[in-house]
Amino acid sequence: MNEIGLLVQRLLDETTKTSVGLFVPELVLSGTIVAMLLCRILPLLWRVPAQWIALLGAFTAFAWTLCQFDQLVGGTLHATPIFTGLLMFDQFATFFRMFLCLFLILTITLTVLSGIPDREDAPDFYTLLLGATLGMMIMASANHLLMVFLGVEMASVPSYAMVGFLKGRKKSSEAALKYVVYGAGAAGVMLYGISLLAGLTGTGSLPEIGHRLSLIVSQGAGISDPIVRTIVLASLMVLVGLAFKLSVFPFHFWCPDVFEGAAAEVAGFLSVASKAGAFALLVRFGLAFSGGSAAVSEIAFALGIGIGVLAAATATFGNLSAYGQTNIKRMLAYSTIAHAGYMLMAVSALMVMKFSKHGGAESTAVTLSCIEGLIYYLFVYLFMNLGAFAIVALVRNQIFSEEIEDYNGLATQCPLLCFGMALCIFSLIGLPPMGGFFAKLVIFASVFKATSVHWAMWFVLGAGAINTVFGLFYYIRILKAMYLKPRPDGARKVSYDLMPVGLFVLMICLPTLGLGVLPARFAETFNNVASVLLTGR
Amino acid sequence: MQPTPDKFLFISAVLFVCGVVCMTTKRNGIGILMGVELVLNAANLNFITFSRFTPLGLDGQVFSLFVIVLAAAEAAVALAIALNFYNNHLTIDVDRGDELHG
Repeated sequence: MNEIGLLVQRLLDETTKTSVGLFVPELVLSGTIVAMLLCRILPLLWRVPAQWIALLGAFTAFAWTLCQFDQLVGGTLHATPIFTGLLMFDQFATFFRMFLCLFLILTITLTVLSGIPDREDAPDFYTLLLGATLGMMIMASANHLLMVFLGVEMASVPSYAMVGFLKGRKKSSEAALKYVVYGAGAAGVMLYGISLLAGLTGTGSLPEIGHRLSLIVSQGAGISDPIVRTIVLASLMVLVGLAFKLSVFPFHFWCPDVFEGAAAEVAGFLSVASKAGAFALLVRFGLAFSGGSAAVSEIAFALGIGIGVLAAATATFGNLSAYGQTNIKRMLAYSTIAHAGYMLMAVSALMVMKFSKHGGAESTAVTLSCIEGLIYYLFVYLFMNLGAFAIVALVRNQIFSEEIEDYNGLATQCPLLCFGMALCIFSLIGLPPMGGFFAKLVIFASVFKATSVHWAMWFVLGAGAINTVFGLFYYIRILKAMYLKPRPDGARKVSYDLMPVGLFVLMICLPTLGLGVLPARFAETFNNVASVLLTGR
Repeated sequence: MQPTPDKFLFISAVLFVCGVVCMTTKRNGIGILMGVELVLNAANLNFITFSRFTPLGLDGQVFSLFVIVLAAAEAAVALAIALNFYNNHLTIDVDRGDELHG
């Protein structure tokens, strides 16, 4: 009895003294959701607009994560597992939580400007938006297989509802049904993989998996060994779930349909936030194999090569499919698939270098630059992709169309929006001096270093380089329509307020340039994030 | 006779395959969701088996409890979306959703 009492006491201490304090941003978001729903119930508070409550909550959470990150870098706080090791609190997790909160603020601002949820539906919409962000924050800090699944589901379920949010639209309901059917299937397969992995290792804790696996895999066991086969099968099943969230070939088919059917704001949110969460989770899952014997490293190495081949296929497929598209949201959807491919190359290079037989100081440096490249790319991607979707949403409010040919000659009517779009597109293509160029450069450089370990990485690097050229042509089509074609007679006129809308567009489009011009400023921070994740220092 | 994990795992594997076949062959939206439930419950059976026979212990049971809760939440949202689809298309045959393609 006394022992149990002691155990409960220790659990309470751990929870109240360390864990809850570090978990405040998530609690703030949860509290905001409750506050919005309360305002809906109490007649006195009906007049309080939900978007301001949501914005306040998002700002508080962002400020809090910013402080935490600052203290982590400064050394006042230390990386530690929280909630008995279910979640991990470190630079990597906090960076992604900060990233997601910042993105949440920008998305809420965009929805306020474009007015996609009307007054009646605003509390529901922002509840879903905050709930999905909460799930992604948990994905980024997951340190246990249970949290991997919970995070993915907490991020997915609100997303399904958000996609179907446009009432009475056939396309929207179709997109939501496709998303929920495929998404639930992928989550089910992923859960089965998790159950196999948990059963094999006898633990759910991610950092222990590598060690536990090396206890059951005998030295020199090949793919014919049943245990190795089960491990590979389980890992592949988990990767199916993650690949679905990342829209990686061959699990990308939902992406264009969902983006076309959903509102542009929701599509922008899904394209950046859910990818960021899933990449953080993928990196954590990949690193779970470290600390094991040579046989386990070999399995992880093979997985890394497999991921690299998938990355090359994803980038190529995304870019080639984007050519024939006439709907701008659909084209941007294929472009997000292609970008997921580029970012996946960084993960592949990370796995290959981390688990290669010839480890050493040099390979550690390359793994660091892989993580740095991934984070840098995501950070640039936030601005360039959200910018593009925001301008699509703002233009849609005026011309009621999302077809590229209806963009003809827009530059004469709304030069600022077109300028913002041009900045985003140059960055998406990866032209210097935009942020997109330097981010691609860092990733390709680390893939190039990984070629010394395995020849397959040459293939990945080649695919990446060719795709950069492929990408050039279809993006240019949007700019060509905007700047070179004449505005047809009788087309709807586009007018917008310079003050909130123009300022917002500049605010999210100019950083794509800034991130390219001032990369050194960010490099140190990114390096710190990567080194704590990989080496614990 | 002492129970062994093999039989439980075999049943769970059969359930999983049934679920996947159901997901891939059914054209009815609700039918697909039933397949998903089968897959989730196959995983649940795995967790319970492992909690009995491996050091996973109570973790496995906690896993399955959370999965049950999440499956309910997911089913609620999925059914709402299916209803929304029905209101717009007057059918829940997923093949009839063909406006988005290309």
